[in-house]
Amino acid sequence: MLGIEYPLFQGAMAWIATGRLAGAVSQAGGLGIIGSGTADAAWVEQEIAAARSITDRPFGVNLVLVSPHIEEVVDLVLRENIPVVTTGAGNPGKYLSRFKDQGIKVIPVVASVALARRLARQGADAVIAEGMESGGHVGEITTMCLVPMVVDAVDIPVIAAGGIVDGRGMAAALALGAEGVQMGTRFVCAAECAAHDHYKEKIIQAGDRDTVVCGSTTTHPVRVIRNRFVRQYLKQERAGAGPEELERMGDGKYPAAVINGDVEYGSVLAGQSSGLVKKVQPAAEIVSEVVHQAEQVLKRWGDISCCD
Amino acid sequence: MSVFEDLKEIIVEVLDVPEEEIAMESDFIEDMEADSLDVVEMLMLLEDKYDIEIPDELAEKMTKVKDVVEYLEKRLQEQ
Repeated sequence: MLGIEYPLFQGAMAWIATGRLAGAVSQAGGLGIIGSGTADAAWVEQEIAAARSITDRPFGVNLVLVSPHIEEVVDLVLRENIPVVTTGAGNPGKYLSRFKDQGIKVIPVVASVALARRLARQGADAVIAEGMESGGHVGEITTMCLVPMVVDAVDIPVIAAGGIVDGRGMAAALALGAEGVQMGTRFVCAAECAAHDHYKEKIIQAGDRDTVVCGSTTTHPVRVIRNRFVRQYLKQERAGAGPEELERMGDGKYPAAVINGDVEYGSVLAGQSSGLVKKVQPAAEIVSEVVHQAEQVLKRWGDISCCD
Repeated sequence: MSVFEDLKEIIVEVLDVPEEEIAMESDFIEDMEADSLDVVEMLMLLEDKYDIEIPDELAEKMTKVKDVVEYLEKRLQEQ
């Protein structure tokens, strides 16, 4: 459907999923995706050019539907004829027909069965079912439960996301009925990713219990790696701080960490899979490692019966 | 069953709000603590029930029970 070699998407982390990372992932046979975040069209245009300088293969752009620049970025994507868009933070319904008219595939991220059904009905080409293991904005359902429920509810392809970091996870997602996977956290630690070295190091050092969900009392909870800022935030949240106060506390904390490298007083968005990320390596190496391990796992299980 | 009765049934199912607390003036978010995914779930159940499609632009504007009831009654009359 997308003209890619492997059904492996690179999650589109705002600020750091630049053209350089997306281009490298696509060149390696996966689907690189530029994270437009809340950036303006000029930035996205520059990153599209950067990705095209690296690869002739298809890559996508992720749209954050609550971005103040969303209209101009949508126009840009149409003008540049980007073959795939993924969407997050909102309902892409009102843009669907413009993309579809041009043959652009629209793949929204969903965290519930009802939203997956709604978007499928409105014409989405596939959905990314993202479990609460993921970094950044999270839903409430685990990947293990959400993926098969969404697979059963819609008749378009489902891409699994949240907690997937290697070939074992990829094979497991395929076993759940997904046709592909999306990985974010692992690609934050790609050599080509623009995240600050301290940020990558923080993910590599994280263990199984080092991520936590902040803002579960607000409308947009996020998974982050525990640090000094997170401890202060959670203390305020437990003490009953209102959504506005919490919003103020979180303001600017993500760029502080991911761009400036302040990983103690900034916000280090990352998934539970952080505990499985061991090193910084080139995107192409990540793609081939994950795909080959998945193939090995599937081959091995092909000969084993669960009831022997 | 009236549209209001149907909607009440759906609200009880999705939000676990006691039926007697649901009034025409009730606000989904303010009074019944629905989040955005709850709203989508209720929309899908209504679409299934009446075999219609409710556009997002209109759904976004329906904040109270009565907004939905009035919209559905109008749609059903047109059919």
